[in-house]
Amino acid sequence: MHDFIERITAYVHWALFLLLEALSGFLLFQYNHYQGSIWFTQANTVAAQVHEWEAKALSYLRMPAENAALVRRNIILQQQLDILRHNLALAGTDTTTLNSQQPMASGQWSTIEARIIDNSVRKRDNMIVIDVGSEDGVAPEMGVLSGTGVVGIVSGVTPHHALVMSILNSHSSISCRLRGTEYFGYLKWKGGTPLRAYMDDVPRHAHIKKGDIVETSGFSNVFPAGIFLGKVAEIKNSSDGLAYELEILLSTDIANLRHVNVINNLIKEELDSLVAQ
Amino acid sequence: MITRILIRLAWALMLLLVQVLILDQVHPWGYGAPLLCPLIVITLPMGTSRSEALLWGFGVGFVADIFAGTSGISSAALTFIAFLQPPLLELMAPRDSEEELHPSFSTMGRWNYLQFIALLLLLHHLVYFALEGFSYFHLTDIAISMGVSYAASLLLIILAEHVRNPKK
Repeated sequence: MHDFIERITAYVHWALFLLLEALSGFLLFQYNHYQGSIWFTQANTVAAQVHEWEAKALSYLRMPAENAALVRRNIILQQQLDILRHNLALAGTDTTTLNSQQPMASGQWSTIEARIIDNSVRKRDNMIVIDVGSEDGVAPEMGVLSGTGVVGIVSGVTPHHALVMSILNSHSSISCRLRGTEYFGYLKWKGGTPLRAYMDDVPRHAHIKKGDIVETSGFSNVFPAGIFLGKVAEIKNSSDGLAYELEILLSTDIANLRHVNVINNLIKEELDSLVAQ
Repeated sequence: MITRILIRLAWALMLLLVQVLILDQVHPWGYGAPLLCPLIVITLPMGTSRSEALLWGFGVGFVADIFAGTSGISSAALTFIAFLQPPLLELMAPRDSEEELHPSFSTMGRWNYLQFIALLLLLHHLVYFALEGFSYFHLTDIAISMGVSYAASLLLIILAEHVRNPKK
């Protein structure tokens, strides 16, 4: 009997090995259900706090570059605004109509400023943690934008932090269209470089050329229509040969982001209830 | 016994901090980051019970996963090498070594210890990147990521081992 017990205990590490690997597998699998697993991610209180300290320390180092980029962007926007004002004036339109044409200014969307405290681009499923949460009015399914375009969609919130599914995530799928046309599809990232993604299901009769602009379609109620996503870099055939697959050069460099805005569709509930009816 | 565990715990914590605060932000040429955590498992002394080694591997992996948002991946890979470390150490340690051998360049010999690190690290990276690349579209990208991370990790670990144990 003693011998028997000794023999069993000699193999106990096998059982422990299998148990711990199974537990890891469970966590790995669970991770695919983002909402349910937020406490096992970087957004949990302790991890988020550590990342926040780190982000604060680093933000001082990066401030000069960030400032320079903001100033540059401001100048570009100011120039564009001037040109547009001029063109509108030439066309005989009242310049105040410019405001009403901006989707963000129409009152349907509110924005919440946020800072990125954790980010990655090297994984297959990249997530971002931001320093605002449910107490700041952030909720799952809200869109996240930067000055240069779409960043991702909020997938889970804690009181003071939110986990954002970056567009650099194999589960991300953003409804998009080619600017100036009605051709739409979904923007998906397939791994590799953080600057390129793909737009699927573009019909073969569509007239596309390199450099065409891809923007949000506004179909999903998460983003307003017309937000810049990127430009067509390459036109390829889809795997089934029935449509085009466009390689998109993304406008936003996710690897190099500090400040973002969470946008809230104020009439989303109303629209969702319409769909449900 | 308790002090030994506490010292190891403090060391693990320090390596985890370096991993989370510095290394996770570094992507050589946009590819995989160096991983320092395997060092905690690699340096477990001879005579560590296999169950204890497994708990170290899983525990360190679990914390690393939470901070990096890779739930399950590090814990699976580190548990895997923690399972293989004790018999491999037994196999590769010099025959006349003391009972509680602490693996390092000085105790195992330069070449022997390098092989030991390189092998365990390779096994770790194979599991880590296989799990991370599960259903990955670009197989070449994941292979490059693994190669870059492996080279960077190996270099860093050898460096860390020289800092930890400056004497030859």
